[in-house]
Amino acid sequence: MKKEDTVKLISAEGFEFVIDKEAAMVSQTIHNMLTSPGSFAESQHGEVTFPEISTTILEKICQYFYWHLQFASGKETEFPIEPELTLELMMAANYLHT
Amino acid sequence: MGGACSRNQDRGNEDNSRRVLLRRFSKSGSLRWWASSFSCPSVDIQLRKGECPSLLELCILKINQDIDKYGTVSMLPRDISQQIFNKLVFSQRLTDVSLEVFRDCALQDFYLGEYLGVNDAWMDVISSQGSSLLSLDLSGSDVTDFGLTYLKDCENLMSLNLNYCDHISDHGLEGISGLSSLTTLSFKRNDSISAQGMSTFSGLVNLAKLDLERCPGIHGGLVHLQGLTKLESLNLKWCNCVTDGDMKPLSELASLKSLEISCSKVTDFGISFLKGLQKLALLNLEGCLVTAACLDYLTELSALSTLNLNRCNLSDVGCEKFARLENLKVLNLGFNDITDACLAHLKGLTKLESLNLDSCRIRDEGLINLAGHRKLNCLELSDTEVGNNGLHHLSGLSSLERINLSFTVVSDSGLRKLCGLSSLKSLNLDAHQITDAGLANLTSLTGLTELDLFGARITDFGTDYLKKLKNLTSLEICGGGLTDAGVKNIKELSSLMCLNLSQNCNLTDKTLEFISGLSGLISLNVSNSRITNAGLQHLKTLKNLRSLTLESCKVTANDIKKLQSTYLPNLVSFRPE
Repeated sequence: MKKEDTVKLISAEGFEFVIDKEAAMVSQTIHNMLTSPGSFAESQHGEVTFPEISTTILEKICQYFYWHLQFASGKETEFPIEPELTLELMMAANYLHT
Repeated sequence: MGGACSRNQDRGNEDNSRRVLLRRFSKSGSLRWWASSFSCPSVDIQLRKGECPSLLELCILKINQDIDKYGTVSMLPRDISQQIFNKLVFSQRLTDVSLEVFRDCALQDFYLGEYLGVNDAWMDVISSQGSSLLSLDLSGSDVTDFGLTYLKDCENLMSLNLNYCDHISDHGLEGISGLSSLTTLSFKRNDSISAQGMSTFSGLVNLAKLDLERCPGIHGGLVHLQGLTKLESLNLKWCNCVTDGDMKPLSELASLKSLEISCSKVTDFGISFLKGLQKLALLNLEGCLVTAACLDYLTELSALSTLNLNRCNLSDVGCEKFARLENLKVLNLGFNDITDACLAHLKGLTKLESLNLDSCRIRDEGLINLAGHRKLNCLELSDTEVGNNGLHHLSGLSSLERINLSFTVVSDSGLRKLCGLSSLKSLNLDAHQITDAGLANLTSLTGLTELDLFGARITDFGTDYLKKLKNLTSLEICGGGLTDAGVKNIKELSSLMCLNLSQNCNLTDKTLEFISGLSGLISLNVSNSRITNAGLQHLKTLKNLRSLTLESCKVTANDIKKLQSTYLPNLVSFRPE
């Protein structure tokens, strides 16, 4: 995997998730950060920090990104959501336009 | 992490489309399914096949499934908790217990109209939204006067709907007297509200829309509206206690644009009080005891564009005054004792877009006065004496989109005069003398979306002509002359949403087999036919079907229920039941 094809998402606790750029772009917010030229430091370093998103939630978000790609390619499975995560996940999803 | 706010405050348009639909389906049996499907919030989240749901949508659906596992959602941005709330209401999962989840959520809209079980116990959580609450619909609920006292803290409330709330009386009105932000207030069918209670209305100075339809005790109370200078719309339909004296206070309401006093006791004298309302655009006097003399006052209303004089017992006497209402766009003269002599005075009303002459004594010669009405798009001639020669005068009305010729004496050969009306979308030919030969003259009307041939004598041969009308969404043929062979032609009308083939007693299960490809159907009626339980299997493919009527067939309610539970999730109304 070439470095420019991936991005690093960093949680509130400093945990780093390296995922495909294509997957991260499922989020409209991340998409804007990575594509608007010059205006975000993120677009140069391929790194985004989310000081308000916990590691557990960011992991779930990354899972959703890949699930979304699978869905788009025709594999329609169910995406599991644990009730105890739902509310926090919604706040993050809302922020990420996901 | 704030969220973008989207609001849908004005639901007026939805009301309109509902009315149109109700009219369209008035012959197709039960109407309950429309009532139930439209009282829900207009925004709903559901998974669409093939379209990837967002994570937010998935979460909302998840919460909807097991709402009881959550204590509160008040930490979420308001627009998200609003979506969760709306989804719960839509799927009928909200209860007095799960409502607690929404305490202090700063929600803006509570659309609980016709929702089961809503009573005073719900009011505490509703009032906890405080100054955020903008719109509240409690119509059809068991909320009482006491329940309304909770609304004191919702000082920003703009819209309050208390239609069909049988436990609300004058005392309840006191509870809302401080809600001066209210712009819309509705109390349809309230037996208890009286003039005394209405005194609280005088404090609602921002009121723009007030609905008191079917409130029989409000006589004398309109005096309290006098100072409501922002009032634009007042509905007093079916308030048969309302008299001429009640009209006097309305003369001060300079902003009034719409006034409906149909079926009241108002006479010409009462109308005289309205002549200063220079913004009045809509006046509904249906069933009032007025005469042509009231037209003298109406000519002074320079903004008047919509006038309903249906069932007013008008005759030709004095009808020359119509000539002065030149700004009228919509005129309803249905069920009056007027003749061609009256039509002569409508000749100059060339701004008319809609004219209703239902059951008037209109003949062919009268229609010559409409020949120049190039803006006319809707013409109602049902139950008149109009025949083929009359249609000749209409053949140049290029804007005409809807025409009703049911129970006229128009026959097959006359329909040739319609073939140039290329804007025509809706045609009602419910008349016994119309036959297959008449349909041959309609094949050029390819823009038709609605065709009513209810009582026409159409046979299989005639359906061959219908094949060309590819845009038909609604079709009724109930004259008894169809067999399965005719339905074979109808199956090619792939845009159909509503199909009524009842009274054709020779139709068999084969008909349902032909229809099975019409996947857009939402309403189907094949009553009084030889259809059996065995034929029902062909309907499995009609996933959009909401109404199915198979009265007097060899079909049992149980078999339809089985079909519904396994294959037709959208079916909400069926007969036999």
